[in-house]
Amino acid sequence: MRLKDIIRFLGEPVPRGEVGFLEKVRAFLIRDFKTWWTYKLWVMLDIIGSLTFVATYYFVAQIVTPDALISAGYTPDFLTFTVIGISFQQYVYSSVSSLSEAIRDEQWDGTIETILSSRTGFKVFLLGESVFRFLVGSYFLLASLAMGVVIGAKLTLTAGSVLSSAVMALLLIASHMVVGALGAAAILKLKEGNPIVWAFTWLTQLLSGILYPLGLLPNYLQWLGALFPLTYSLDGLRRCLMSGDDLTSALIMQDVSKLLIFIAVMLPISLWAFKKAYDSTRREGSLGQY
Amino acid sequence: MISRVRREMSQAELKDTFKGDEPRLKSGLRQFYGVVWASLKIMLSYKSWVIMDLVSTIASVVMYYFVGLQVDPTKLSQSGWGTSYLTFSIIGVATANYLWSCLTRLSHSIQHEIRGGTLEAIAVTPVNMFTFFIGQTARGYLVSLIYLLGVLAVGVAGLGVIFIMNVESLVTALAVFILMLISNQALGLVAAGIIMVYKRGDPVAFIVASLNEFLAGVLYPLGMLAAFPILQAISMSFPYTYALDGIRRALILGSSLTDPYVLKDILALSLFSLVLIPVGVYVLDWGYRTIRRKGETSTY
Repeated sequence: MRLKDIIRFLGEPVPRGEVGFLEKVRAFLIRDFKTWWTYKLWVMLDIIGSLTFVATYYFVAQIVTPDALISAGYTPDFLTFTVIGISFQQYVYSSVSSLSEAIRDEQWDGTIETILSSRTGFKVFLLGESVFRFLVGSYFLLASLAMGVVIGAKLTLTAGSVLSSAVMALLLIASHMVVGALGAAAILKLKEGNPIVWAFTWLTQLLSGILYPLGLLPNYLQWLGALFPLTYSLDGLRRCLMSGDDLTSALIMQDVSKLLIFIAVMLPISLWAFKKAYDSTRREGSLGQY
Repeated sequence: MISRVRREMSQAELKDTFKGDEPRLKSGLRQFYGVVWASLKIMLSYKSWVIMDLVSTIASVVMYYFVGLQVDPTKLSQSGWGTSYLTFSIIGVATANYLWSCLTRLSHSIQHEIRGGTLEAIAVTPVNMFTFFIGQTARGYLVSLIYLLGVLAVGVAGLGVIFIMNVESLVTALAVFILMLISNQALGLVAAGIIMVYKRGDPVAFIVASLNEFLAGVLYPLGMLAAFPILQAISMSFPYTYALDGIRRALILGSSLTDPYVLKDILALSLFSLVLIPVGVYVLDWGYRTIRRKGETSTY
């Protein structure tokens, strides 16, 4: 072997150049899709689970009176009210919890340390881990809404209401990506048991008016419910999809403003919290611990 | 110095130094106790998780209190279950949650051990694996029972739930409850056997829990399914449907063991238990033997 060959043989591979931001996010997306698609049985079971959950309320709707809905200013249709509530709550739940679960999985599998010690920054990592889960969540959301329509939910779909719903849905996604990042920060530090995800799944179920209008709650619980972005998102989405209101409605614009304020305040806080948790676990050397 | 010590050691002392430890856990009962205690200690080390779990269980019941405020009592009473939707739904929600945690406890703990790489370590110790499985299941029953009683207590003391509680109704509810556990645990054993081999997820428990919640009448009176004969037939193929009916008859209507409807529920649950338990034990045994033979006790 000539000296030149030995040097070439033992030499480290030359970095292939800077991989772009979008290319990295795309790589995360493809990886997660491939993993998800490996478990086809689970894809099917998840769909069945979501649909049966929605269908249960077809029967509950048969014994409910619409008085509380009328008092709250909604169309007197409990089935449509709950189909929207459940579908979007499941969307939020899967999106918020799945980011923490993804990080937990990376911790268990010992891959988080590898990824984060590469040239992939934490912002790309967070976005990459979230994107596919939001896409899957959106797929389930549409399936749940379609199931609702099949069993009798009446959605008002005009150009204005659909466009306004899309805006509300985007704000819902943005506000819960912020919450997901906070949850991810908590899981990096705590490893097991995530108070952020817990609060945004269980407490929103109780306080955000998924199965009943908020007027039924006592004042102090209504006040607590006002802290969660799902409360405003659901109100706005229901006004669009049940009554056909659009962004020109003062009530919907109120919801939009509150969601924007939530995002503006919480986005820097959640990124700061994740960065702190990330730096702290790196310093402690506990990034890969579980 | 070392060689001098070695020379001075007698053969008996050398044997004593290098011999293996005597297995300390000989009795099955002590092994069972050890498994339950170890599992409880792990759970209690995550205190915040335990508190959050308890609060979320209670929150799920409080939620149905507010749903109940929208229910028309006349429509509910037409189905024969009284006028309080919360009393009706709390039995469904509490037992469904209990059953879910019992059903999944064994499969989740096995999955956890496999992922943590400790199932193989446990399998090569003198601990009998079936004692280990029973211990994990018992821990699930014990902890979930605390949640179940907590939920019922919150319902009765804080939300105005009214149960008919006399000796006869309580004995009836308890008898049906025990049969519910036995018949459904068989499904838990099947789930655990399958998860050992296929590793990912818990499809059996998921299907059973989803269909139970949808078709067993957890949130609505079962009579409503009469308009959908196929759904009604599917609902009658789950043991939980009979268990829920029996427990509700005891606690809402005050029925005793001599009530023909309760007897019918008990008979159905006994038949389910007789058929399903051997199947469950067989699948669990098959799963464990398969991963041992393939050397997959620590792969996931």
